[in-house]
Amino acid sequence: MADFALLHRPALAIAKSGSFGAPSTGKRITLTALPEGHVLHVLAARGGGDLTGLIPRIGDGSAHAVRPYGPGQWFVIGDASLSAAEIFGKTPVLDGKASISDQGQGRVRIGISGAAVEAVLAKGTAVDLALSNFPVGHSAMTLVGHISALISRTGAENFELLVLRGFAESLWDELIQMGLEFGVDAKTAR
Amino acid sequence: MASLIACPHCGPRPKEEFTVRGDAGITRPAPDAGEDAWYAYVYLRDNPRGRHKEHWHHTSGCRRWLVVERDTMTHAIYKVTDASAPGETA
Repeated sequence: MADFALLHRPALAIAKSGSFGAPSTGKRITLTALPEGHVLHVLAARGGGDLTGLIPRIGDGSAHAVRPYGPGQWFVIGDASLSAAEIFGKTPVLDGKASISDQGQGRVRIGISGAAVEAVLAKGTAVDLALSNFPVGHSAMTLVGHISALISRTGAENFELLVLRGFAESLWDELIQMGLEFGVDAKTAR
Repeated sequence: MASLIACPHCGPRPKEEFTVRGDAGITRPAPDAGEDAWYAYVYLRDNPRGRHKEHWHHTSGCRRWLVVERDTMTHAIYKVTDASAPGETA
């Protein structure tokens, strides 16, 4: 047990917010600091077989809760914060075929949306984000500029970036820069 | 240097996402193999011209070790496989 309670501060609480760039182009970009609920890193055991049917049972049942990250690795994400006991309570579901690591205070989510969202993200990553190649529900771990982030598509014009907490504000500032030509509304309030 | 590596898990990605370890063909000597064998294993490398197999780590992607077969002269990539695939690791 911890000797004292850790005080949780949202990573983007003091990040830039407001409107930036071009006044009105009809393609404005919206940046949103998403709730820091739970982020569970699920790692498959060697020889555990295909777990794609099992992993969603760890999540809260919401759309896009499970984000594949690499072979045998997933992030399971939700808006509700979970206690250590609640996370531990999920392990029997995996039946020893995978383990869970709590990344809840290690990684944060940034929502980015707008008609020009693909063009903005394409300034930072080489991944082909066209809807035909990167459908809703698809995820890719990649670099955005020099910052490693998991990009997930949650809608035709909506993406979420999962980034290490210490890089979140830096990425936030870069996303504002990348969107200036279309205009950016950045919302850190939660 | 080759600029696009077709990761078997992630698809084509720029080389900036990867870290190169070096020659995938060398074998770790036995613990008692002697100083010369260990010196060669740790320090001595060829600088081949042409087709070459290397270990690349997809550091900013799936974080898997890959074996990349490429041409050091033309920068052509012939084959990229996961290093854990049977027969890939020396």
